[in-house]
Amino acid sequence: MFGKGLIKGLGITGKHLFNRKVTEFYPEQKPVLPPRTRSSMYLDVPKCTACGICANTCPNNVITITSGKDENNKRVLTGYTMDTGRCLFCGLCTEACPSKALHTTTEFENAVYVKDELLWDMMKKYKADASKQEEGKDNG
Amino acid sequence: MLRTDEIQINIGPQHPSTHGVFRMLANLDGEVVTKVESKVGYLHRGMEKLAESRTYPQFIPYTDRLDYLAAIAANIGYVQTVEKLMGVEIPERAEYLRVIFFELQRIASHLIAAGTNSSDLGGMTPFLYAMADRERILDMFEMTIGGRLTVNLPRIGGIIEPPEEFWPALKKFVDDLPGMIDEFNGIITGNEIFQARTKGVGVLSKELAEGLSITGPVLRASGVKWDVRKNAPYGIYDRFDFEVPTGENGDCFDRFVVRLREMEESGKIIRQAMRDIPEGPTFAKVAKVVKPPVGEIFHRVEGVRGEIAYYVVSDGSTKPYRLRLRGGSFINIQMLHHVVPGWKFADLIAILASLDIVLPECDR
Ligand code: SF4
Ligand code: SF4
Repeated sequence: MFGKGLIKGLGITGKHLFNRKVTEFYPEQKPVLPPRTRSSMYLDVPKCTACGICANTCPNNVITITSGKDENNKRVLTGYTMDTGRCLFCGLCTEACPSKALHTTTEFENAVYVKDELLWDMMKKYKADASKQEEGKDNG
Repeated sequence: MLRTDEIQINIGPQHPSTHGVFRMLANLDGEVVTKVESKVGYLHRGMEKLAESRTYPQFIPYTDRLDYLAAIAANIGYVQTVEKLMGVEIPERAEYLRVIFFELQRIASHLIAAGTNSSDLGGMTPFLYAMADRERILDMFEMTIGGRLTVNLPRIGGIIEPPEEFWPALKKFVDDLPGMIDEFNGIITGNEIFQARTKGVGVLSKELAEGLSITGPVLRASGVKWDVRKNAPYGIYDRFDFEVPTGENGDCFDRFVVRLREMEESGKIIRQAMRDIPEGPTFAKVAKVVKPPVGEIFHRVEGVRGEIAYYVVSDGSTKPYRLRLRGGSFINIQMLHHVVPGWKFADLIAILASLDIVLPECDR
């Protein structure tokens, strides 16, 4: 009978209407992303030995490292920037880091208004984060 | 009958029905298409040239960006090519994991194909259901490697071990898969309007399909039983028991149905892989600096939209001397010129939808 298929389809749609809702009400409701999610980068500055392996692994020259020598003639990190406008978030750099200083995070709200803000200063980011944690400790 | 002047109209490159940035120039006589020209290249990024300035592992994330709906297919094809060139054997467990992820990706992509096919013909609801079902696959990718579309999953010499919570999610998905396909059959395949728009429309004959080197579900819908997984098995595909679904008429309807049946077969493969997967490491011992010997290699896999083939020439350095790649979409588009003339304008959209092209793979 013509129309049987249509009615069956409508029945399926009707069933879905009363099923559990799957839509998330972002931004009121924030999704919890799995720990391996590669959506942002974080550099644990004290762990970094400024070896430059991450910068060499990157297919797009996202990472720029500058280093200097401290009083014991040991190499120290002086600057670490990531031009995230070019970053593929492929995770090759974090996998390559021998001291596990660079890692991905689940922070995903990375949109910015101006292009210059895509240039992340990872040392600044670390400091801001550290001071935030300090504040948290003082208050709590 | 009243004759009208032919007019030429431009469709795309930005048009939801062209599945990306595909442009067509169609000559119309009234509502009948008399000639169609396809214009590709709006998304050309020079992938083959880019490969020459990247090291072998660095090119893996680029293969993600060939076909954003089936990144893992291109990923696995590429790493297998390099492994073949280097003569690397990967552990059993890694082989099984690759099969599982490959087939999951096939299901995810075919879900989109089924959904967009229906939405192009005016049925928006199934598209949203397809998206919801596919979300579960993307969640599995995300928990394993952290990416959803551009996953960058395998590495030369192996694949990352999925976390604990992956296996229950996979089991649940595979169990629910037949239900999902039934739902699609109920809501689209059995729908009389869908059938009227697709049955007998855009028939691609067996001879023409073979003559144009069309591959993938489009070829199989025309009745040619050709699947690289069966005819020239790569990896461990020779260990699995599955059917190669084919169509009879080669029309839009068959192309749609073949994809749904392929999803069932992929589910079957995943179930067998889950049963047989051994414990063990997932990485072979490969030097940190990948330096294949001087030589050249050709390797192909059954991608989601057709065969994906890589041809790599190595000069013994860390970067490919030349890399050539073939994707299904570019070659499958060729059928439009032959099949579309004579059909109505609305049928052109139906035919294009049933081809399931994706433009980054076509333009590279
Ligand atoms: S994620 Fe990839 S593209 Fe981004 S900095 Fe790391 S290696 Fe480079
Ligand atoms: S690889 Fe790790 S330790 Fe070396 S420079 Fe990069 S972040 Fe620092």
